[in-house]
Amino acid sequence: MKTSSFPLIHNRKAMVGALIVAFILAVAIAAPLLTSYDPSARVGRPHQAPSLEHWLGTTRIGQDVFARLVYGARTSLAVGFGAGLLITIVGTALGIIAGYRGGKIDEIISFFTNMVLVVPNLPLLLVLAAFIGQASPWVIALILGCTSWAWGARVTRAETLSVKQKDYVKSAEMMGEPRWRIMTFEIFPNLISIVGINFIGSVIFAIITQATLEFLGLGDPKVVSWGTMLYAAQKASALSVGAWWDILTPCFALAFLGIGLSLLNFAVDEIANPRLRTGNRLGRWSALIRSGEGRL
Amino acid sequence: MAFLLRRLCFYLAAFVAAATINFFLPRLMPGDPVQIMFSSAGAELPPESLQALKLTFGFVDGPLWQQYLTYLGSIFSGDLGRSIKYFPLPVTTVLGNALVWTVGLMGTATIVSFALGTFLGILAAWRRGSLFDVIVSVGAIFATSVPAVVTSLIVVFTFGFTLGWFPTGYSADPALDPAFTFEYLGSVLYHGILPMLTLCAVLTGGFAVTMRNNMINLLGEDYIVMARAKGLSDTRVMLWYAARNALLPTVSSLAIAIGTVLGGSLVTEVVFNYPGLGNILYQAILARDYPVIQGQLLIMTATMLIANFVVDVSYVLLDPRLKRA
Repeated sequence: MKTSSFPLIHNRKAMVGALIVAFILAVAIAAPLLTSYDPSARVGRPHQAPSLEHWLGTTRIGQDVFARLVYGARTSLAVGFGAGLLITIVGTALGIIAGYRGGKIDEIISFFTNMVLVVPNLPLLLVLAAFIGQASPWVIALILGCTSWAWGARVTRAETLSVKQKDYVKSAEMMGEPRWRIMTFEIFPNLISIVGINFIGSVIFAIITQATLEFLGLGDPKVVSWGTMLYAAQKASALSVGAWWDILTPCFALAFLGIGLSLLNFAVDEIANPRLRTGNRLGRWSALIRSGEGRL
Repeated sequence: MAFLLRRLCFYLAAFVAAATINFFLPRLMPGDPVQIMFSSAGAELPPESLQALKLTFGFVDGPLWQQYLTYLGSIFSGDLGRSIKYFPLPVTTVLGNALVWTVGLMGTATIVSFALGTFLGILAAWRRGSLFDVIVSVGAIFATSVPAVVTSLIVVFTFGFTLGWFPTGYSADPALDPAFTFEYLGSVLYHGILPMLTLCAVLTGGFAVTMRNNMINLLGEDYIVMARAKGLSDTRVMLWYAARNALLPTVSSLAIAIGTVLGGSLVTEVVFNYPGLGNILYQAILARDYPVIQGQLLIMTATMLIANFVVDVSYVLLDPRLKRA
């Protein structure tokens, strides 16, 4: 396989994933250009089927579903990337500190990491959100950031343990570089693929979890997001009255975004760990036959 | 067995941590914590019941540590207070009834998807790069990246409402009395199959990818080459040499997956109107029934910790090195 300084460009999964995410991002930014309807206003009769006037029909109280879809993308993406960034920063910092410093500090951080890992995440978030009341998207992003860093911290710590044995870290220590400098400039750059996987994974998790919390009625119903769309549609029994457009629109939007981000994530994973590649199938057949691999 | 004992102590600490969160949350909110906890009851709660509830949740006169110990005391004696929505039923009764359905649903779904996912992962890794591998890998990406709530809604729309093959609510036909009859058990099976399959769709992909990646990392090992060189059959090398060792990290990933299973089953139950913990919790959230909401965190945590312990025990059984440690 050809090596390249920009491996993501040559990976088909990465390209498709990036295109999907970029498309949704463009829709979110261009929302006011794509629809003239106000996403919260009543602009039609209740539960109208899709038509030229309302491309994706209307909700139970007569809001335009398409307008809610494109404006809702803003909230879902903003919370996803905001919370994802927060989760990654906390997890990476704790992971590197625990892995590099070792000793007591490592024991304390690892203990808390493991504890957060065994307390089930969604039930914990439900309790937090229930006490906060109708949580705005930013509050949801914040509590996600505070409760979901453990997996990243664990993986980063394990990687740090192997990186810190490398010669260049040892030589930096010999030269008397301060600890924070070794952690940020010697160790962190070598963990970048793990951090990338952690970031995209956290974004996916945040988008899914925000939608789930809002679907369960813990969000602010006045906010327009894909989660509150699901909540309103489920509450209006959209499926049993046959208004499939009301509930399937946010469903497919969430699925589409999730798939885009996951493709990106798997691509980063494959680049970081070349053994996992499925590679170019046609080009691979000859290699398979030669090595006898893949017989069954 | 020192390993298992250490794990047990750790799980106890984790459970106390969950209880601590429960204890401090209402006290950290602005306003009177008693008012917050029991506001949804309005004036309907008899004064002596309110007094008893306050005692259970540690709202006693005295310093904070005394309140905290009172609360821990009531939890460890199995008193989680009373539900406000279903007053006067105790929280443990409300949640206990629901837990049976949730554990049944979760248990079957986990076993089925773990077996299926592991099997698919073994085959995909063995035939890496083949069409089968591509289908499994890409299918797993799709299945794991779609939120459980979306999968559930699409499944219930397709098979429940549009095709009408399966019921869209309840755990059994409400006209039947719960009893060990073929009719009732058949009805339970019929009502449970759609939520169960939905959970499997959510979970199988993750197990398959983990197993595939573990297998691929192992296939380059010397003992695999050695086994091939000895002329052992492919099936034997695949199952007894590679898969057996690749299974070990997969089992530990199972422990982490249990959290996903819990979350997934919560939303699946809401969508399918299945009378498990998820549905009770959904009703409790709508009614702001805080004793039930807090109780579910403790019950879910306990379920998760027990499941983790089971995984620990099986890990010791699978990995002889741990027996000596």
